[in-house]
Amino acid sequence: MTDCGCSKAKAELEEYLHNELASTDAADIREHMSGCTDCSSELHVGLVLTEAVQRACKEVAPEQLRDQVLLSIRTIQATH
Amino acid sequence: MATAYGTIARPVIAAPSVPRLDLVKIAREVDLAVMTTVKSDPRALFEEQAIPFLDQLYGAALRMTRNPADAQDLVQETFVKAYAAFAQFEQGTNLKAWLYRILTNTFINVYRKKQRDPYQGTTSDLEDWQLGNAESATATGTSSRSAEAEAIDHLPDSAVKDALQSIPEDFRLAVYLADVEGFSYQEIADIMKTPVGTVMSRLHRGRRLLRGLLSEYAEGRGVAVKSTAAAESASTSPAPKKATAKGASSVKGALASKGKTK
Repeated sequence: MTDCGCSKAKAELEEYLHNELASTDAADIREHMSGCTDCSSELHVGLVLTEAVQRACKEVAPEQLRDQVLLSIRTIQATH
Repeated sequence: MATAYGTIARPVIAAPSVPRLDLVKIAREVDLAVMTTVKSDPRALFEEQAIPFLDQLYGAALRMTRNPADAQDLVQETFVKAYAAFAQFEQGTNLKAWLYRILTNTFINVYRKKQRDPYQGTTSDLEDWQLGNAESATATGTSSRSAEAEAIDHLPDSAVKDALQSIPEDFRLAVYLADVEGFSYQEIADIMKTPVGTVMSRLHRGRRLLRGLLSEYAEGRGVAVKSTAAAESASTSPAPKKATAKGASSVKGALASKGKTK
């Protein structure tokens, strides 16, 4: 174990963020993060970025679209 | 559903002397009747299962088409197609992923062809300098990184949307499906019909680009707040608080002109 773990943590950061790592690998990254401010600050930016995108992308469909969709589905049903 | 419940349940209320055991039996029959009604009526089932995804699909459609009118048409068409194919949907499997597959296919086959926006680049159109430039705007030290996170965290939603709109479509879609919808890499690969490796690279490049754009934007706002003259002379820095459309061009402008100076 000559590597401090930073290169593995940085390389797998995005997969870690997206919950794509096997539990043992994720545990390695988590452990490394708890002791490495450099990597954990990088993780923090990643998390904030994800949250910002989630926040910005919350949309509510116009009521009229809902009505239209229901109407067209019911129309298809009727013509069958 | 209401009629099935009503006809079976009414005698229970009318005859309170019915023994307990029968009540249980009747309750089971009601359950069965309701289930049968739903099963034998695909429209009721579709409305119950698929319609709740309307807002989410509309959000995705907005990110794809980048305008509300096309987004509404796309969602409408997606639901009609999904309903027509609903018999082929295997109950118990992932309906959300199934709907997103139809949405994405419809977008690619119908709407992408229609759109003639010069900025609508595909992955290969993205110059290296754009990626390199975006990355150079991101922080490297621990303290500057926390400042960067703080800045991104306080950006208005419109700025984040504008930045998303300005990155190439394949990247944008991968980021949206992973970060907003929480699909797994494999699910995104199925939806976008690409290998998982491609999903990972699109996601990585998309997020890197987005981060660079947002950091740049935040930086620009910071400069503008401190000194208007400095912001003016920088000219590429977007001024704070602007309309959505103008904000988008500022993000793009910052990206384009910074690349030229390199």
